[in-house]
Amino acid sequence: MFRQLKNAHTVLILVLVLSFVLAGCQTNQKPNAGSSGPSGTSSAGDATQAAQGAEKVLTISWPKDIGPLNPHQYAPNEFFAQGMYYEPLIDYGDGGQLVPKLAESWDISEDGKTYTFHLRQNVKFSDGSAFDANVVQKNFDTILANRDMHSWLGVIGQIDKTEVVDAHTFSITLKNQYYPTLQEFAVVRPLRFLGAAGFPDDGNTANAIKNPISTGPWVLSEYKKDELAVFTRNDNYWGAKPKIDKLVVKVIPDPEARVLALEKGDIDLIYGEGVISLDSFVNLRDSGKFETSISDALASRALIVNTAKGPFADLDVRLALQHAVNKQALVDGVTNGVEKKADSIIASNFPYANVGLKPYDYDMEAAKTLLDQAGWKLPAGKTIREKDGKPLEIELVYMGDDEVEKPMSTAIQSDLKQIGVQVKLTGLERQLRNKRMEAADFDLLFWGTYGAPYDPHSFVSTNYEPGYGIYESQQGLPMAKELHQQMKDVLLTTDETERQKLYTSILTTLHDQAVYLPISYLTSIAVYPKYVTGLKFPAHRDETPFDTLDIQK
Amino acid sequence: MKLSVYVWKRILMMVPVLLGASFVSFLLLRLTPIDPAKAYLSVSNIVPNEETLRAVRTQLGLDVPFWHQYGVWLGQLIRLDLGTSFYSKLPVTSELAARLPVTATLAGASLMLALLVSIPIGIASALRKNKLTDHICRLLAFLGASMPQFWLAYLLIYFLSVKLDWFPLQGADAWFHYILPSVTLAFALIATYSRLLRAGLLESLEEPFVLYARARGLGTFAIVTRHVLRHAIRPVVTAAGMNLGKLFAGTVIVEQIFGMPGMGGFFLEAVFHRDYPVIQGYLFIMAFVFVMGNLAADLIQASLDPRLTQAIGKGDGR
Repeated sequence: MFRQLKNAHTVLILVLVLSFVLAGCQTNQKPNAGSSGPSGTSSAGDATQAAQGAEKVLTISWPKDIGPLNPHQYAPNEFFAQGMYYEPLIDYGDGGQLVPKLAESWDISEDGKTYTFHLRQNVKFSDGSAFDANVVQKNFDTILANRDMHSWLGVIGQIDKTEVVDAHTFSITLKNQYYPTLQEFAVVRPLRFLGAAGFPDDGNTANAIKNPISTGPWVLSEYKKDELAVFTRNDNYWGAKPKIDKLVVKVIPDPEARVLALEKGDIDLIYGEGVISLDSFVNLRDSGKFETSISDALASRALIVNTAKGPFADLDVRLALQHAVNKQALVDGVTNGVEKKADSIIASNFPYANVGLKPYDYDMEAAKTLLDQAGWKLPAGKTIREKDGKPLEIELVYMGDDEVEKPMSTAIQSDLKQIGVQVKLTGLERQLRNKRMEAADFDLLFWGTYGAPYDPHSFVSTNYEPGYGIYESQQGLPMAKELHQQMKDVLLTTDETERQKLYTSILTTLHDQAVYLPISYLTSIAVYPKYVTGLKFPAHRDETPFDTLDIQK
Repeated sequence: MKLSVYVWKRILMMVPVLLGASFVSFLLLRLTPIDPAKAYLSVSNIVPNEETLRAVRTQLGLDVPFWHQYGVWLGQLIRLDLGTSFYSKLPVTSELAARLPVTATLAGASLMLALLVSIPIGIASALRKNKLTDHICRLLAFLGASMPQFWLAYLLIYFLSVKLDWFPLQGADAWFHYILPSVTLAFALIATYSRLLRAGLLESLEEPFVLYARARGLGTFAIVTRHVLRHAIRPVVTAAGMNLGKLFAGTVIVEQIFGMPGMGGFFLEAVFHRDYPVIQGYLFIMAFVFVMGNLAADLIQASLDPRLTQAIGKGDGR
């Protein structure tokens, strides 16, 4: 053996052979790489080939693999892929308007507990099978069999029974009245519909599905895990068909590489929230080579103010905070204007949220007066205020690697320093930050609302349910009990006027009590060459605009 | 002791090393203050409540005591089963196997490229000591050692892919997809190896046998390639053995930038999600690669230096 290994040349040859063996493994393994996902639908089509033909092919990038396209499961299924692929009974339109999708219409019983859906009749799944009440029942069966997993969605916990009334009528009966029922039908998962042939043999989709069969406008035609997915237009689609023939989704994890891919022409669109750095967005916009657009408010970025302990137990200190932070400077400086300045925790384009709250102005003098009033005085020769000999120090917790939270935290720190408040910044990894939040162990914490279509109802439920840290952080409010009761009540009201009244009261209390410091509204961005046309941002945060896009070269 | 016995002994020694590594990583993972069930829910954008958490913990097998979990893991390991990913719900073995070839090819290609380039550079700079060639090589070495990997990657992409369109920007479908990532990874290694080799050569060139070879009338080229190189290359071999593991583990940035579906990005995701079985499986494979890299380096060293072979033969070659 030693003789065989005798000189360096042999070693080099060995290294060479080893790499060839590995390269061999590579080519052998490749087709299998996709087999763990929905490879059942793979065809031999090649994306780049298609691009050269007369077909209209739009190539986009996504940071992650699309996942197994299971409509009833969560990660690693990507929201956007489930959202564009499967359809709900009811969709979420502009301003929270409910739009008929697979249900043409619906009735609600007088007691507000039974919802009857009249299903669209001309709908077929991509495998040719009919969409009817039986397949809706089959989907509900597996969703309800995994009720614990889905119990975060209020309506799932409320469903008492489901019933096939006739071939095109389906009803569900709730245990209690629950007004967001219809809104919750619009969420991306788990209430969307898989064709019968896509179910595993035991009918339970909790772990896997056989095939991604949907009623939607797209059919998965090629899939290479972690590399690419090709969606072809479903020519039998019941609704308005997409204008492009194929949508190619390339997995590009790195944001800068995504920008370079757009510049090179490898992709035709960058779309989404936080998919590229805000600096890159501005560079691309200013280059004049691309069209850019920004969506309406999709969700809110805010600080949770802990009323249960420390200086913020005092309303005056919380109010001082509202006046002391220059939000416009944060939005312009950190996000280059991509995010919009927020004056209320739920943006007024959300249902029930246009309640005429008066914004707190950026006013340092007002902030200083409020702190003086609260007894936090600035001792002569010092820069930090004190009360009973204790300096005014607070801790701000944020996600350490977040491109926006980090610089915003620094800016807030310097804003507050000017009114004599010392801010300690604590940047934590996501999971550790969640732990601090749940324990309500912070003075200020960066947080985001769920956005459309979840809010405002999901927002109020995270406020009144103990365990997430928000309920705990509101324990310093004198009216905490009444407020949380109103939050519970609003989800059960069926009377529209009463519901608006409750929401007005809840949102006004949160605003007046300065329980949150709303900073900005999150938006989606889109960057694309001029030949891509027809971009319209969906109102729903997790939906995509691919159905309406066109290519005009 | 025969060489084969020595090799077997070294391989057997790997068992306690790997067991130790797996136990420590298993323990450390479970000492972290984060509940993987909560992490799973948080990446799914689900607000965790008690019922959901309980359901997920049972589903992930986290509702049993530590020793039980480790026992189950070891039991599976004997059958070459690394468990099921919390996140993708697929077997870790097949998830890693699908990604290993990309990472292994990338690591192998980078190491090979580094060796192929650094040997001539090392020789050239040793033979032209303190001349222009040496100065240029030194400058390149400084650049290679100090340039951040991600920056080099972006530069290569920008000029060679976006501007000149010579190479694809991302993917791992064919051999040419590996060129830019391998160059990125190899650049720093070339710097190290060529300097190591230069130092080794300069030292060896002072040895009496070189003088003897010159006296016999051998040319410089023959002396260096036939006699001196095998002495001088030994530190490079040691470094390369150590680097093999590092390369396997260090491809993550390059994989992300070049959109390569390798193990690095997969592991990074797993850490975010606290996907214990994947983290555990990945660390196990990495420990294996490190140990194998060292063993290979030792064997190659022995083959280059007869004194070491003799030491092994006498039984004290450790």
